[in-house]
Amino acid sequence: MNICIIPTGDEIRSGTVRDTDSPAVMAHLLVRWPDAEVRRLPPVCDREGAIQAALDRAIEGGAELAIFIGGSGGGHRYSATLGRDYTHSALDRLLEGVAARSIYGPNGHLWSRLLCGTRRGARVINLPGPYVEAEAAIRAFCAHTEADAETTVQAMADAVIACYPVGTV
Amino acid sequence: MAETAVIVHADKTVMRITGLRVQGLDTRALEQLLAERLATAVRVIGVTGEAVEMDVYGAPDEAVLRDEAGILRAVSLCEGITATEVAHMALSERILPVDAADIPEKTPCARERWMRYEHLHHPDRG
Repeated sequence: MNICIIPTGDEIRSGTVRDTDSPAVMAHLLVRWPDAEVRRLPPVCDREGAIQAALDRAIEGGAELAIFIGGSGGGHRYSATLGRDYTHSALDRLLEGVAARSIYGPNGHLWSRLLCGTRRGARVINLPGPYVEAEAAIRAFCAHTEADAETTVQAMADAVIACYPVGTV
Repeated sequence: MAETAVIVHADKTVMRITGLRVQGLDTRALEQLLAERLATAVRVIGVTGEAVEMDVYGAPDEAVLRDEAGILRAVSLCEGITATEVAHMALSERILPVDAADIPEKTPCARERWMRYEHLHHPDRG
């Protein structure tokens, strides 16, 4: 199994924020696939074009599974002080056979949107940026690697929702 | 595409601290420091070189604001953050629930959809 982890975000790229998610994600992947080659690619800036180019480079490099981290919320679309969240909208344009789950807050804001699909035969998923949620989502993914996209993304969304201190309706 | 939406009814306060110098921040360490201080879950949702924005779950905004000095002390203990002399809490605001039925029809642009809601329900906000 050839796997690429692709962190996103200008704050990760600049070193303002340490990328603690990628090592945690890699640890879960190596438990699931001990013989895998797992590469963490350079962080991608928050631009749809850059995210799309990074995915294509990963696939051309042999990735069978590509995992994006960050950029899963509404971000700048709701609050001018938040970063630009483009990962999910960029993947919308590229993936086939996509299943998606959108998690909204009671204030109507998109908190996280998770996708699972394929591009040129490679499986592609995204994870939320906050460490606790990224870790919960990758753990759920690793437990459902044989399932279809619908089941997988539902399990990931359930795991992320369980990170919030209250229930859902 | 198979798309499903779910609303999570979590009560949270958005907190923004400015006047910081941030480089090499471990967001998980910061979340743990503040979770201990506030005795509730905290998530870092936005970071720049000068500010950190966080979600605080299940804590009233007044309580967060009241503990500004303690929160600033806790934040300044985190590796990767230096609090400058102008560090302060620029925002402590509880999110307001909206009725999903009140939000205008879905458009491809979430920003546009939200602005329509604000225009309809809060014209005073400009």
